[in-house]
Amino acid sequence: MTASPLVLEARNVVKSFGATRAVRDVSLSIPGQSVFGLVGENGAGKSTLAKVFAGVHSADSGEIVLAGEVVSFKSPHEGIRGGVSMMAQEIMLVPDATVEENILLGSIPRRGIFPNRRAMRRRYQELVALTQFDLDPQAKVSSLRIADQQKVEIMRALSQDARLIIMDEPSAALTADEVVRLHESIRKIVDGGATVLLISHFLEEVLSLTDQVAIMRDGELVRVSDTKSETVDSLVSGMVGRSLETDYAHVARAADRPVRLSVHGLTRAPAVTDVSFDVRAGEIVGLAGLIGSGRTEIARCIFGADRLNSGEILVDGQAVTPRSPKAAISRGIFMVPESRKEQGLVLGSTIADNLTLASITELARGGITSSRRVRDTARRLAEKVDLRFTSIAQSAGSLSGGNQQKILFGRAVEVDPVVLIVDEPTRGVDIAAKRGIHGTLQQMADQGLAVVFISSEIDEVLGVCNRVLVVHRGRIQAEFEPPYNQEAVLAAFFGKGGARSA
Amino acid sequence: MHAVLERVRSYGIVGVFAILFITLSIASPSFLSFQNAANILDQSTILFIFAATTTVAVIAGIFDLSIAAVATASAIMTVNAINWFGMFPGVLTGLLFGALLGLITGLAITATNVNSFIGTLAASFTYRGLGLVLAAGGLVTIADKDVAVSLNSVMEDKILGIKGAVWISLAFVILVGLLLSKTVFGKWVYAVGGNREAAYLAGIRTQRVLVGCYVLSGIGAGLAGVIYAGRYGTGATNAYNDTFVFTAIAAVVVGGVSIFGGSGAVWRGIMGILTFALISNGLNLLGVDTTYQLTILGLLIFIAVAADQAFRRTTRT
Repeated sequence: MTASPLVLEARNVVKSFGATRAVRDVSLSIPGQSVFGLVGENGAGKSTLAKVFAGVHSADSGEIVLAGEVVSFKSPHEGIRGGVSMMAQEIMLVPDATVEENILLGSIPRRGIFPNRRAMRRRYQELVALTQFDLDPQAKVSSLRIADQQKVEIMRALSQDARLIIMDEPSAALTADEVVRLHESIRKIVDGGATVLLISHFLEEVLSLTDQVAIMRDGELVRVSDTKSETVDSLVSGMVGRSLETDYAHVARAADRPVRLSVHGLTRAPAVTDVSFDVRAGEIVGLAGLIGSGRTEIARCIFGADRLNSGEILVDGQAVTPRSPKAAISRGIFMVPESRKEQGLVLGSTIADNLTLASITELARGGITSSRRVRDTARRLAEKVDLRFTSIAQSAGSLSGGNQQKILFGRAVEVDPVVLIVDEPTRGVDIAAKRGIHGTLQQMADQGLAVVFISSEIDEVLGVCNRVLVVHRGRIQAEFEPPYNQEAVLAAFFGKGGARSA
Repeated sequence: MHAVLERVRSYGIVGVFAILFITLSIASPSFLSFQNAANILDQSTILFIFAATTTVAVIAGIFDLSIAAVATASAIMTVNAINWFGMFPGVLTGLLFGALLGLITGLAITATNVNSFIGTLAASFTYRGLGLVLAAGGLVTIADKDVAVSLNSVMEDKILGIKGAVWISLAFVILVGLLLSKTVFGKWVYAVGGNREAAYLAGIRTQRVLVGCYVLSGIGAGLAGVIYAGRYGTGATNAYNDTFVFTAIAAVVVGGVSIFGGSGAVWRGIMGILTFALISNGLNLLGVDTTYQLTILGLLIFIAVAADQAFRRTTRT
């Protein structure tokens, strides 16, 4: 295996987004005809690095060497022509077209203006010979199961003469037996001569499938090693690294304060199964776990945005179980949603209107709004959450990410809830704004609110929360209190370890 | 630079209107007469109403293509109800009938999550059919001559040189404008059209807001029906054709209301209608053959929307 020539070499690759350095000085070599694994926590920079390889992003500095030649792809199109193809996390196929049409999409052999069916079939058979995939070329893609749709994507990549195929979490959406089929597919295409870069959260998958594995943390490469020498534990400790010395000032406190939020047996198929927990006044409880583990779904159920199959939600001992966000707000529950642009803000509306969106009825008399009262309220809220702006009448879309997030907190302040749920409030904001948001949360907890905090960044969750619940596949996998053992928390992300050990 | 472009996009319609106005004033001496202005307003009476409610719908992110059909059914219903209950109850019934049809459309569409474009298109067929039934296949006439005359004089008699129907239409437009700009409902409309998910998660009952928009469209259409019954003393199955709907939507877009929802104002829809009226009035005064007028109007609409797109692209980055 080591004798194979390199297919891709990265030299000192750096990629930043604004103030965030997503990839810092990464150098690695991917041998040809192999499966190369890439692991790391959420936000470690795996996907960004892979997108630099594929031409989706271009590197700020550093070199990519492909089969001995320095390349700098400016678009995915150039990447594909250079032999690097990336399978996106979501399937990108034309559902109503047939298997062979999808595979040859963009390069359909033609005779005049008509597709040349015979040439198409010949091309398809060549790819079948290479991959040994058995699909009906005339079947509509929409009728295939997801693992078979992935085969179509793989064959499309190969039809474009891809030497390196990047797969970002390919098994995330698959059932168990489809995962088996995917793994067979990967082995077949490697036998056929191509190389696969596999990004995955499923460490067992990485261990069983890859020849080498690279671990990333905070945008840096921790190490590259032969997969044979790694275990789940060694990978996890590599992903967590030395940041264990982070100072956690918390003591488990508030144990004698009254329970404000109580969740019993919350179930919503298929994302949430039998989730129960309490949050006391003054407490910040973290819901941690991988993206897609069910954290957000739990939050949306509590807020009434999604219906429950079963379960009960109590606020201050009273059953509320809201059936809409409006009902939740009137019972004292408020949620700052996970995506401020898609779910939080009306970007085209003014800062003032956005700040008062949830409380506009209270600011009006007999249904008539007073723009002066809206503006005054908005200014007061803006000051409370330290919002920076030039005019209260400017559009919310013109603000930075951190300031946009502050609008949502301002809205929460005005609603004055008993229970506050915040979902990924610091994603994509700079360090200063992040500190400000943590401060606001702490302040609100100090005023006696029960706060539920969701974040993909483990350091942040452990740094901010008085207690951490790890969610894995829709269930509470484990519960932790300070002093935190970061490795144990991360192991729980991957489904390992204690059934709610303290 | 962006600020300048944004302003051009935002107030372009005012500029276009001003240029048209000045050009016509110079080119045609009869343009600047009070009588001509009164004529323009008179011809636009119904379109003002439709443009106002369409503005609200488009800002909320929906279309209501059924308003002309509802207005037709309401005209017939108004005449019938006057014959059954007398003038005042009849007029009120006509208005409420429009509101009721809007409510039915709104409930049906929000309950099933059908796309508003298709849903209201289907509704317009249904309501045209309903009009046929209500008119027993033909024309209904206000039986009491005195009632017909007094209702006609409300619509046609001039106050300060302007017909009654125009005053009614302008009053309705102002009310809709205030509803949109000064009330909680108005704020909800902008929020729902700007980002429905965010509005929902902020505790706004988005479905109800949308139903409210359909009801408002229905009330406007009901008013248009009453005006028709008053003007002509009859209710006809061809009272309003669907060109009214498309003209209203085009005017709203030309006036600068975002077709994607979330931003705009009632005055913009009105400016759009006035611009159209000015164009056809000007073409008449300048002696352009009426055969070409629709073609020219269509091209102008396309240019206005294309310019809007271009400015959007430039100002977004």
